[in-house]
Amino acid sequence: MLPKTLKLTAAAATAAALALPSAAQELTIGFVYPSPIADVGWSAELDAGRLAVEEHFGDRVRTIFVENVPEGPDAARIMNQMAAQGAGMIMLGSFGYMNDGMRLAEQRPDLTFIHASGYLLASNFGNFQSRNYETSYLVGMAAADVTETDTIGIVAAYAIPEVVGMINGFALGVQEVNPDATIKVVWLNSWFDPPLAQESARALMAQESDVIYSLYQDTPSVVSVAEEEGVWVINTSSDMKEYAPTWLLASQVADWSTHFIDSVQASLDGTFEGTAFWGGYADDTVDVESWSESISPETMAMIEEAEAAMRAGSFHPLTGPIEDQDGMTRLAEGEVITDEAMLGIDWLVSGVETRIPQ
Amino acid sequence: MDILIFIVGGTLAAATALIFAAMGELVAEKSGVLNLGIEGMMATGAAMGFVVMSLSGSYTLGFLAGAGLGMVLSLVHAALTLVFRANQVASGLAVGILGLGLSSAIGKKFEGRTVDGLPETGIPILSEIPVLGPMFFQQDIMVYMSILLIPATWYVLNRTKLGLTIRAIGESPEAAHALGLKVRVIRASCVAFGGAMAGIGGAYMSIAYTPLWAEGMIAGRGWIVVALTVFGTWMVGRVAFGAYLFGSISLLQLSIQALGLNIPSQLMSALPYLVTIVMLAVISRNPMFIRLNSPASLGATLKLS
Repeated sequence: MLPKTLKLTAAAATAAALALPSAAQELTIGFVYPSPIADVGWSAELDAGRLAVEEHFGDRVRTIFVENVPEGPDAARIMNQMAAQGAGMIMLGSFGYMNDGMRLAEQRPDLTFIHASGYLLASNFGNFQSRNYETSYLVGMAAADVTETDTIGIVAAYAIPEVVGMINGFALGVQEVNPDATIKVVWLNSWFDPPLAQESARALMAQESDVIYSLYQDTPSVVSVAEEEGVWVINTSSDMKEYAPTWLLASQVADWSTHFIDSVQASLDGTFEGTAFWGGYADDTVDVESWSESISPETMAMIEEAEAAMRAGSFHPLTGPIEDQDGMTRLAEGEVITDEAMLGIDWLVSGVETRIPQ
Repeated sequence: MDILIFIVGGTLAAATALIFAAMGELVAEKSGVLNLGIEGMMATGAAMGFVVMSLSGSYTLGFLAGAGLGMVLSLVHAALTLVFRANQVASGLAVGILGLGLSSAIGKKFEGRTVDGLPETGIPILSEIPVLGPMFFQQDIMVYMSILLIPATWYVLNRTKLGLTIRAIGESPEAAHALGLKVRVIRASCVAFGGAMAGIGGAYMSIAYTPLWAEGMIAGRGWIVVALTVFGTWMVGRVAFGAYLFGSISLLQLSIQALGLNIPSQLMSALPYLVTIVMLAVISRNPMFIRLNSPASLGATLKLS
């Protein structure tokens, strides 16, 4: 890994140089990203949060970042270096940074940390996630509206609770508009393999799926093949309209600005508490961008209504009666799933054809 | 029917990058040099090909640039093993890792970008045939080239003086040297050919098959190439068969998943590897035959002054 390490060291050195304390700044904030900041994708989305922090606080804070940091010793070294160079707050952008981050948080109670996903908490170590199943529900309604074959395909990485929850939200949205639609899933069993993702999308299209839901594919692999083949596509985690100007049905996005700004404010005020932030519509964290014009006005009105209800906190997509694939009742009439159950969800709703890999 | 066209037609394209890289690796190994850096060379070829193609708009330049950089990297491997007598395994791994890092540096500014894929070139008349036409005769030009590369490699290795020389050097470089053959030059050329083919295979991934650049997009295909040459017992036909088998089972398993059959998806994801290994192991189960075909000096440090 020689060149990568060299590059990292160089990047860390730059970060260190930038981090020299200056009188005007009250707080230096370090951002650690797991992948390169591209035009789109997870790191790009986090970086948008960083820019929002800069804009909001102006000269009061300084941000530094290191991208493409592998989980493990490299990440530990980068965050230690950020701390040693005067960073007062660190944002950790990947699940795998958790243990190293927590170790540093214990050694340096004067620093504050916010960590993407993960489950460890301390008084100076909080984590954040988004309630993507809310937007999944809305794009599911749109998918059901445009499908002509009544077959919708999903390309998904691994069956972790977040992904399973999103598939459930999506399927319930589909069924709200079109109860007859069939939903198929191809599990890639890989976090990152753009050619495989594209092959999966083609496999689904060959079997009549005319809407493809690209779940956490960080590259435009699925989106661009859908545009090429003339098949509707929905993207997760950042807007990919430019890669599929005609056939993008909608993009589910997360906006970390509000949470990042709140956390920075709390660090400045000395009121930071390590909490588990799980932001949805009610917290302005999730949204859908680039709705296609082809969605019928009736469905769009239903979508807007559901969105407004979620913003107001009066509606949860997983509200009973809900049966799972085996026909077992998981939620009784009117029962709303608890956050705890949602965080560990391991069953799919009836109507999804493919099973969860066990 | 759509599924059949998807699997059969898709297999040719899915195996193309593997065919290019595997034919190159086969020639290098036949001359006695093991190159474990294929993954890195494919990655650099993919990055370089993508960057040059996006900037110039020319697929030809993209493939040439990918091939060129793959070749340069493989020559580093050749220099280390043939001139400085480094261990072939260690050198191959090191150069491969260098290639992965290099690909990340080259592609940095293009991360997550897309280009239009290499267009399909239908063969006149033949592409009009129902079912068979879309399966076999509506592919991009590199698919046809990769198919032609298979008999060409076989012919050169088995029916020409050059092929005989390469195989002789692979069997016993010392004896070949005593006969006056330029062992280092020929080996280096074979390794360079292998690097160029790996570069083309990589560029095929990034500008034709999945027309985008993302770091790590080769995702282990270079290692499959290394495995194919070994499991295919260094025979052109079997290596090519392995590549197509791997490609078709990959697409088949995705189709089976998309059908909604309740087979554990982890098993399905492992299927291409399992089937390819089992099939090649079964057809190559004769140990005498393997010994006859494997280059005797493969992996050994060159003992020439």
